[in-house]
Amino acid sequence: MGWFSSSSSDGSGPKKTADGAFVAPTKSTRQKCYESRDAFFECLDRNNILDSVNSKKGRDAAAKACGPADQAFEKNCAHSWVEYFKKQRVVNYQKEQTIKKIEAEGGEVMPPQLPVGSNR
Amino acid sequence: MSSTPSCIAGAARAIQAATPVRIPAAHRTFASINSSRASIPPRAIAGNTAHRIVQAEKNVLGVSRRINGAQEQMRMFSSSSQRHALKTIQQVRARNKSGPFNLTAAILFVATAGGLYTYFTYEKERMARQRIANQTKGVGKPKVGGPFDLVDHNGNRFTHEDLLGRYSLVYFGFSHCPDICPDELDKMALMHDKVKEQCGDVMVPLMITCDPARDTPEVLKEYLAEFHPAILGLTGTYENIKQTCKEYRVYFSTPSTVKPGQDYLVDHSIYFYLMDPEGDFVEAIGRNFTAEQAARIISDHIKDWEKPLKKESRWS
Repeated sequence: MGWFSSSSSDGSGPKKTADGAFVAPTKSTRQKCYESRDAFFECLDRNNILDSVNSKKGRDAAAKACGPADQAFEKNCAHSWVEYFKKQRVVNYQKEQTIKKIEAEGGEVMPPQLPVGSNR
Repeated sequence: MSSTPSCIAGAARAIQAATPVRIPAAHRTFASINSSRASIPPRAIAGNTAHRIVQAEKNVLGVSRRINGAQEQMRMFSSSSQRHALKTIQQVRARNKSGPFNLTAAILFVATAGGLYTYFTYEKERMARQRIANQTKGVGKPKVGGPFDLVDHNGNRFTHEDLLGRYSLVYFGFSHCPDICPDELDKMALMHDKVKEQCGDVMVPLMITCDPARDTPEVLKEYLAEFHPAILGLTGTYENIKQTCKEYRVYFSTPSTVKPGQDYLVDHSIYFYLMDPEGDFVEAIGRNFTAEQAARIISDHIKDWEKPLKKESRWS
């Protein structure tokens, strides 16, 4: 079957099946996607853009500053992944800020505890 | 050649050195016995007739003979007891010097304390694990897991009965998962290897897909082979998957009607569920555990298991 000929090392990004859906990613396609994601996010960091997906303003700014990186990102990852990672970036930032805020107020953020014993 | 004579000479010197110690001891016993023999006749003679004296002398002879025998016995006995006494004196001196504490006592004490501490710590941990493991045994307990009827990644029917007799580590995921599932499956592969190293091949790693529309047996086989050949992928009809997820208290958000070619993500719970050989839930292992920690927890549970385990691999 031509479905699983996942030799996408030529840089063509995730393959699509006959009905247009993406095939399940392999380790190498995932790696490729992560790399283009990191490159795009680095570009966003350089241009001081946090949100590239949720607002029209953010989308425009990202397209203007990091258009090529964004296109490479879209090319190497399934569209659902692109959206997921862009939203995750915002969420992760907010999480970081919340933790910093709590710690600045003298609180402590505890990692989830292991159920049996504490010395594991 | 010179070493052998010197060895012998050394031994002879040692004997010479040892004998003088024994001789005074024997002399001393001799002397004390002799004096006791000398003291007997006057007592026997006192207040007795001449005839009796003769008899008494005979008696004395008998007594002296007996004493001679006793003397010999005593010599043997006394010489050994003398040495024993010497030893005790040394011990007494040593004891007076250092009190009742010596190296042997210290080692024994530390070893006993250490042993007891280790034992009680181990027992405490074991009881805690057992409490967790038994939480879902019996009636009226929250139930995680249950019967299912799915298809494995080779296209064969696979039900909960195929897992009986072995531990299983159940993970819910899907092949189009962007970042968490691949990490977790890598961890699962590590966990499997570590547990196998410690306990043998007694645990089946399972991934049940939450996305049956896209994850056919072929897709799963291809996908999971990259992580670990031992990981078994399960899929099935949407209804069967939904029922299984419900039994495992897994939340997932796959739309029931997916258009062909649709690109979507599935939101789902990300826990490893450790199930015992009877199909009962033991423990949920979250993302906060490293593979080492998780493998240790699993191995500890497996070591606690007292009933038979199927060690042979049914799927290899």
